[in-house]
This record gives sequence, structure tokens and C-alpha cells, in this order.
Amino acid sequence: MSANPYMPMLGTIIETYDETPDVKTFRVVLKDEAAMAAFRFQPGQVAQLSVFGTGESTFVICSPPTRMDYLQFSVMRVGELTHRLHTLREGDPIGIRGPLGNHFPHADMKGKDIVFIGGGLGLAPLRTLLLFMLDNRQDYGNITLVYGGRTPEHLCFKDELKEWAERGDMRVELTVDTPDKGWTQRTGVVPAVLTDLAVSPKNAVAVTCGPPIMIRFTIQALEKLGFTDEQIVTTLERRMKCGIGLCGRCNIGEKFVCVDGPVFTQAQLKKLPQEF
Amino acid sequence: MVARFLATEALADIAAAWARDHRLLAPVREGAAVLYRPWAKDMHPFLGRPPTSSAKEALLPQTENLLTYTYRKDRDDLTRTEVFLAEPLPQEPTLVLGSRPCDARGRKLLDRVFLERGVKDPLYEARRKATLFVTVACERLENTCFCHWTGGGPMSEEGSDVLLFAVSGGFAAKAITEAGEQLLAPLPEVGPQVQEELAAKLASPVEPGPAPDLSKAPERFLKLFGDMDFWMDQSARCLSCGVCTYLCPTCSCFNITDENSGMKGKRLRTWDTCMSALYTLEGSGHNPRVSRAHRLRNRVGHKFCYHPQEFPAATAQPEFSCTGCGRCIKSCPVSVDIRSIVLDILEKGDKS
Repeated sequence: MSANPYMPMLGTIIETYDETPDVKTFRVVLKDEAAMAAFRFQPGQVAQLSVFGTGESTFVICSPPTRMDYLQFSVMRVGELTHRLHTLREGDPIGIRGPLGNHFPHADMKGKDIVFIGGGLGLAPLRTLLLFMLDNRQDYGNITLVYGGRTPEHLCFKDELKEWAERGDMRVELTVDTPDKGWTQRTGVVPAVLTDLAVSPKNAVAVTCGPPIMIRFTIQALEKLGFTDEQIVTTLERRMKCGIGLCGRCNIGEKFVCVDGPVFTQAQLKKLPQEF
Repeated sequence: MVARFLATEALADIAAAWARDHRLLAPVREGAAVLYRPWAKDMHPFLGRPPTSSAKEALLPQTENLLTYTYRKDRDDLTRTEVFLAEPLPQEPTLVLGSRPCDARGRKLLDRVFLERGVKDPLYEARRKATLFVTVACERLENTCFCHWTGGGPMSEEGSDVLLFAVSGGFAAKAITEAGEQLLAPLPEVGPQVQEELAAKLASPVEPGPAPDLSKAPERFLKLFGDMDFWMDQSARCLSCGVCTYLCPTCSCFNITDENSGMKGKRLRTWDTCMSALYTLEGSGHNPRVSRAHRLRNRVGHKFCYHPQEFPAATAQPEFSCTGCGRCIKSCPVSVDIRSIVLDILEKGDKS
């Protein structure tokens, strides 16, 4: 690998499919087989994807390190780079720089009940940790997933949601803001579902990711249920360029989301200048 | 060590000699500004006052190449392309002629970011190792100068390879580093008269006057962090033009963009500015620093709070990410003055 930290590794897209009208999943392998075999990361870490000629952007690796046939990225089409990414097909080249950032403290979560709370594409980083835990199921207590989307169509990883609900060793609660005709599950926002379920904080950890507004109300709901700041884990997004703590823009106070994050506990976030 | 004598009329010749094996940057007058420019024949370096721009561009160019890429079409299937990447070219050795002590101290603060924070930036490191600073000691302080507030001084040697002192007929040149000594080798030693003049200068250096105690700036900044009225007030005039960050010898934030030309292109690093709303604007439309108040707060906070938190000093005086050069004050189109912001923080942060 190059000593130049800005030099991506070259990869090939081996599969793409649409998750929702504006989210596409990419499965990628590194061109260099030895580099692919040597690629190590932890759930929650991110990578920079390059489309040369358009640029780079940061995405969470949303497949777990226990399943290394490919690296998966699920990308919402919102800006210049993601529009370009969405035009790529199987076989197209792509650049990958990573893994970057810190990761979920999964070792500290062993033996505990885990509550995943996701909104929209915020499920992507949770998926990595959830699959990692399902692949090491004996290490964890009860696992609950509360997941919401704008409409049923906007829920990501639909096939897996069904599979997880049916596997019997975890609980899945789905909710949407606006149901369609066939929708048989919950309607309403995620924090309300949490309150309704009265999830117990006893020996539990809550891991949440979603739009900033959802995270804010989710944390409030968790606090009401009795979760302490140490029991709430979230993963932040910031505009990033370098991904290695140098370009400056992702700072919150003296911390950089790209190297000190993206994963923070609520206890850690409370110590930072409140600039979210 | 005896100083060397650099006569005013010999300046262009020695600069030309140095320019043979270095990329030489020297300040020249351009309209009302004094800007560092690459050496060219018949150039007249102007050392009469601190340059408008800082010497940071010697270490962190405004634009530099991080890598190049080339796409090639597959001849058997023209819908398929392959991409090839290449490293940037190695750095040329650089010499800055006519930097000021505030520029030279900026080197240490850039090192903090690019060499000491975590991931070492090899492009910066290579350029840093191959860059020399021939600095002019300041004869007086301009009314925007405040280097003595942040640990510097008008005759500070820190970060320089050679320090030039104005004397009758030219400069007395003092080598600070071994590399500086080699640069000065072609010059004659100073005569007894100039030696005396230099000794007098060093014995009674420019007196910058009293400096406020800034040691409480970091904690008082944090106390005022949530006081948006304070920040709205401080930033009311700000135009978000970013000139403060571009001229700053320690501002190091950068952007990365691709510049395409047909089937190939470059990935470039360019100076960026935290004063711009686009700097933190996310694809979703969310912006954590949505107003000028948020952005000015971040700039001041980075220099006078986050940097000292990140790099704690061994001394009572914190290390700030500011050399007190005053360029941000001098060139601000609406007279935002970082000194008065810091003094207001010290005062109001004590009360709140």
C-alpha cells in the first residue's frame, strides 16, 4: 500500500442494487487480492469511496468484518459524488481509502442486551454491528431493532428485515411515518415506538443512528426510559474530505469526527462544545 | 559566530544564486500589496515591510497535486474502463527569502497539524524538510502586529534558518541553522562597524510593549461557547470572505477536489476556509455551522482554545494557533480584529 494517505486502493464493483428510490447498495472487492485478504476493520468504521474525476466521500462499511466476501456500501443519492456513484455498474472501477475512524465498542457490549434504533439509511452502520453480533450471537443478550422510515418504500435492507424478524433470536419493530395500503406494522415516529415498547435500560446498550432530528428525540426518549449517557451510543456524520484528521472541517471542539469518531457515547458528546 | 554582510546591491545576485538549486519565493510589490512570488529574472525582492501574504504557501501550496488518475477504455468492450493511479512528483527544495519571524513561527504550528496530530502527511513532510526560511527581523511593530501576545517577538529566531538585520548599506545575516550557514557561505563577514551596529541592535531589541495575559483564553472561550448573542455581535460585520484564513500563516484547512481533463486528471488539495458556509455543508442540507457567528466562533475557538487543548504547552502560557502576525486584521475588509475578540472573551467569559 502507498505511503501517501491520500492514495486510494483500487476496487471493482461486483454487485449493485436499489434499496429504496434514492439508496443504492454497492458491493466492492479490492483489485489486489492480497490487499483484500489483508483488509481488517471493525464495525462502525468508514471508508472514502472515490469516483475519479468527481471526487471522494465518506461512507460506513455496512457489511461486517465477519463476512469478507466483499465490502458493502449503501449510498443515498443527494450530492454530486453520490449522483455519479449511482451511475456506476458491476465491473466499474472505484477507489477505496480506509478503514478510517473509530468503531463501536462491541467488546464492552458483550453480555448485554442491545437495542438498535435506526431511521432511514441510518440503519447502515447499525447493520454492520447487528450482523457482527448475529455472527457471534452467543456473546450478547436480547437484541431488539427499532427501525423507521418515511414510507415502507423508504426502508432499507428490506429482505434482511424480514429475515431478522423471522429468525427467532431477535426482535424487530418497524414503523413508518406514512403507511401505504399493504402496511401491517407500526405507524409513527421512532422515539414514540421506543416509549411504547418501554425498553428496559437494565444491562442494556442503545445504539442509534439516523437523521439528526431523530437522534435528538431518540436520546430524549432513551433518557426518559432510564438509559444513562454511557448506555447510549451514536455515530455522527459530518462533511469530510481527508478522513485522517487534517483537513479540518469535521471538528467538534478539539475532536475530529473522522478520527476521534464517528462513534461517540452520549457521555462523550456531552463533554464537547455543543455544535451539532 | 560572526555575521555575514549582505549588501543591498548584492541581494538580487545572492537570490539568483540560491534560486539555482531552490524554488525561491521572495516578496515583491504588486500594487498596494507585497506578495511572495517565485523567483524570476529581474525581480526586485522588497524587504521593507511584512508581506501582505504569509509564507505558508512555501509549505502548504495554495494548490497541490495529491495524485493523478488515467482512465483507459477496454478495446474489446468500449463500455468498460479501467483506472490507473500515479503518485505526485517529488518536491523541489524551497527557499523563502524575506519571511518574517511570525511566518517562521508558523512552521511549528503547521507541523503540529501535519506531523504531530496523528497521520503524518508525507507531502508536507517532504516539503518541510526541504524548505529554508531566510527571515528579516522586524525593526518596528505595525499597529496590527501582536506577535508578543502569542509567544513570539519581532526578532524571534524560532523557525528561521537565517535572520537578517537591517544595517547601514544592507543586512547583517546571522545563521540560525547549519543549512542557513551554508546559504551564507558565499557572503563576506561583516566589518567592525557593522558588527558594532548589530551588537547595539541585539542589545536593545525592539520593545513591543505590554501583552495581555491570555492564559485563561481557552476556558473563557468555552464558557462563552453557547452565548450566541456574543458571537452574533462579534461576527456582525463579517462578510465570510475568508481572507483572514488565506493570509494566516497557521490556517491549514484544505479541500480536496478532482480536476478532470478528458480521460485523465488530478486530485488536488487546495486551501479552504472555515469562514465559508460550504465548508461544513452536508449533502443532506444539514449544516452544523450555519451562520457567520458559528463560523467565526470556530475560527477563534480553534486558534485560542481547541489548539491549546489538543497540544498542551509545558509552560503557563498556552500555545495558540496564532503567531500574532496581524494579517487577518490588516486585510479584513470590514475591520474584524481578532485581538479585540480575544480581549472580549477574556473579559466577558470571566463574568458569565
